[in-house]
Amino acid sequence: MRYSLKDIFLGVFKTAILLVFLEIFCSAILPAFGILEFKPAFNVLIILFLAFKLEAPFLPFLILFFQYIHSAFSVEGWASGTLAGVIIAMSVKYVKDMLNFSTAISTIVVVQIFQIAWFILIAFILSLKLGDFSNFFSIFIKYLPESFFLSLISHHFFKLLDNFWKVGKSSHGVRY
Amino acid sequence: MKNLNFDSSRWVLLNNILVGAIALYGVANHNYKVNDLSVFQKMMIEVLAPLQRGTMSLKESLAYTIDHYVTIVNTSKENEKLRKKMVSLENQIFSLTEVKKENERLKQLLQFGKEIPREKVLAQIVSWDSSNEFKVLRINKGSVDGLKLMAPVITMTGLVGYVYRLSPNYADILTILDQNNRIDAIVARTRTHGIVEGHSGFKCRLKYVSRTEKLQVDDEIITAGLGEIYPKGIRVGRISKIDKENFGITQKIEITPSVNFHKLEEVVVLIENGQTKEVKLPQTSSSIDDVEGVK
Repeated sequence: MRYSLKDIFLGVFKTAILLVFLEIFCSAILPAFGILEFKPAFNVLIILFLAFKLEAPFLPFLILFFQYIHSAFSVEGWASGTLAGVIIAMSVKYVKDMLNFSTAISTIVVVQIFQIAWFILIAFILSLKLGDFSNFFSIFIKYLPESFFLSLISHHFFKLLDNFWKVGKSSHGVRY
Repeated sequence: MKNLNFDSSRWVLLNNILVGAIALYGVANHNYKVNDLSVFQKMMIEVLAPLQRGTMSLKESLAYTIDHYVTIVNTSKENEKLRKKMVSLENQIFSLTEVKKENERLKQLLQFGKEIPREKVLAQIVSWDSSNEFKVLRINKGSVDGLKLMAPVITMTGLVGYVYRLSPNYADILTILDQNNRIDAIVARTRTHGIVEGHSGFKCRLKYVSRTEKLQVDDEIITAGLGEIYPKGIRVGRISKIDKENFGITQKIEITPSVNFHKLEEVVVLIENGQTKEVKLPQTSSSIDDVEGVK
């Protein structure tokens, strides 16, 4: 099934609005209520969705776009996340036939595995950039509690994004 | 509708390589000490930061609604009238008390900076960094207010951090809790030098202190004035834990910052370099008119 430029634009637009809302939720709403140490990385979940469900040649540019939006809310910047996202998206391509998103459990497990891969990559890039690998493990560990939360909500989150991108019941996503 | 049909694997590979290369370039150029924003990033922050700021007032409205209206839904009409009257009065008292408290806080904050020979800009916290890894907060003042990159940020209780990136109306502050922020510091009692670095759980650590230095829990840590960012003598925190292992030449020292980051609302940004001198911490508040050079 192929989609038009309008569908892609709408998918990007709705996802961008959702990302902005979630970033504001993590950066302003949660801290306003005194929650400063729990900030789920929703940008990671969105990029994992795109990597899992979209078969599009412009996928790397979408990753870059959503990471760029994320950079307005975090000094993490766009570059490390984009690099990790592109590597993850390339890896997903090779294991796509083994991935299954039909049940909540399978989605949770798959998302958790790829989140761990993502955070290993980010911790590696950060440590490499700072020239100090002594903090590699602590950087990686910091992301874990939120990653469990993201994995738990991933099934319903993906359903919402399925609607945005008009992905059918097929677990193999949509081809653009 | 026009369909897109460019699904060749060569396109995918080419795009992956292209974006991967751009990202690598971005990683190589990303500076975790200080960051110059691109025009597009500045524009995004200018557009999106007001939304973050808006959520603060939304929270206050929500708290007000829950406290003053939702709880009286099921009372009698008479009760409702009286309660509304009371709520109105309470609201006035609350507003006045809040204004009074804010006034006192700001006076103390401004008084604190009196002895630092730099221009001061008062700012409010808008939001925190959305990533858990970075302890960065956003304030509602930017380059149009005279802020500069790497300008130190303080409160009356101590050091907050420095300006990491700037847009015209907003600035991101790299706090002392962030592991990328390193402060040349001294222990006030023994004048022992060390480097303060952000650690986990809203704590910092003092590094490179020799095992032979006789430090104690509760010793106060202040800025050393070296490194050309922070003025000398600003309170950083107190030693909360000392761990001397049987090996190594340094000791592991944990610091609890003197600033309570969970309750941080306003900060002072110090701009334009002047002569630095040791700062005395405030004991009492005084009139706002006494403070010079405050924006």
